[in-house]
Amino acid sequence: MSDIAFLLIVFFMLTAVFTSTQGLRFKYPEDDPTNTNIQPEEAVHIRINGEGQFVVDKVGMSMEELGGYIKSKMEQNADKPVIVQTMPQVPYFAMIDVFDLLKQLDVQNVSIPTKTEIERWKQFGVF
Amino acid sequence: MIPTASMSDIAFLLIIFFMLTTSFSPERTSVELPESIVRTEVTDQASIIAIKEDGTIMFTSGEEPAYELTGPNELAQVTEDIVRLVESKEFVIKADRNVPYQMVDSVLDALRSNGARNIGLLTRPEPKTSAAVQ
Repeated sequence: MSDIAFLLIVFFMLTAVFTSTQGLRFKYPEDDPTNTNIQPEEAVHIRINGEGQFVVDKVGMSMEELGGYIKSKMEQNADKPVIVQTMPQVPYFAMIDVFDLLKQLDVQNVSIPTKTEIERWKQFGVF
Repeated sequence: MIPTASMSDIAFLLIIFFMLTTSFSPERTSVELPESIVRTEVTDQASIIAIKEDGTIMFTSGEEPAYELTGPNELAQVTEDIVRLVESKEFVIKADRNVPYQMVDSVLDALRSNGARNIGLLTRPEPKTSAAVQ
């Protein structure tokens, strides 16, 4: 009987370990039509072209340069919005790396627009 | 001689402990998650959207076992139904680290255009420290 008992212990130990419940979260702001305090031209715009290939405000950068650039921008204005645009064929982890970097630098205002939102923004001439 | 009676007492005590602490997650799709340093806890009752490396999308609202979706359009529909019931429902995206970003983008699009406000991206801990931030 204690054989069975130990078998069960091993089973529960293994299943308990392999569940990951942590990650990065982003909360979207509530819809507020009266809020017009948005200045898109002041946002930092990061475009991810590939792993470690970024175009930040029209300047090509590496991961280290991006970190330094964002850091200096945050020192000037901690509320500065950062827009992350990822090209369709880029692997998902490249975007997570950038998102993680922004979270580490304590950037409060990260925006990750989807393709329909980018289309909509284009109509308003943001991009 | 090993004292079997007291040993099986301890064994059953351990079984009960592990049974109580194990929470069976309804989403058990195996994917290779991307790594991140910053990680926050995701709520238990979240809906989980898993994107496998081959592009299949698995979905669970957090109660029933995960099932396969036909594509982002079906996801848009279920999201709408869920958000209508619980407005602050959390959605967790559990995507393979190597999927092209357009897959994640279409999932995000389906979630956000249907009122999902609370979205998380599941990651695993980074094995090495980042060079960009000290």
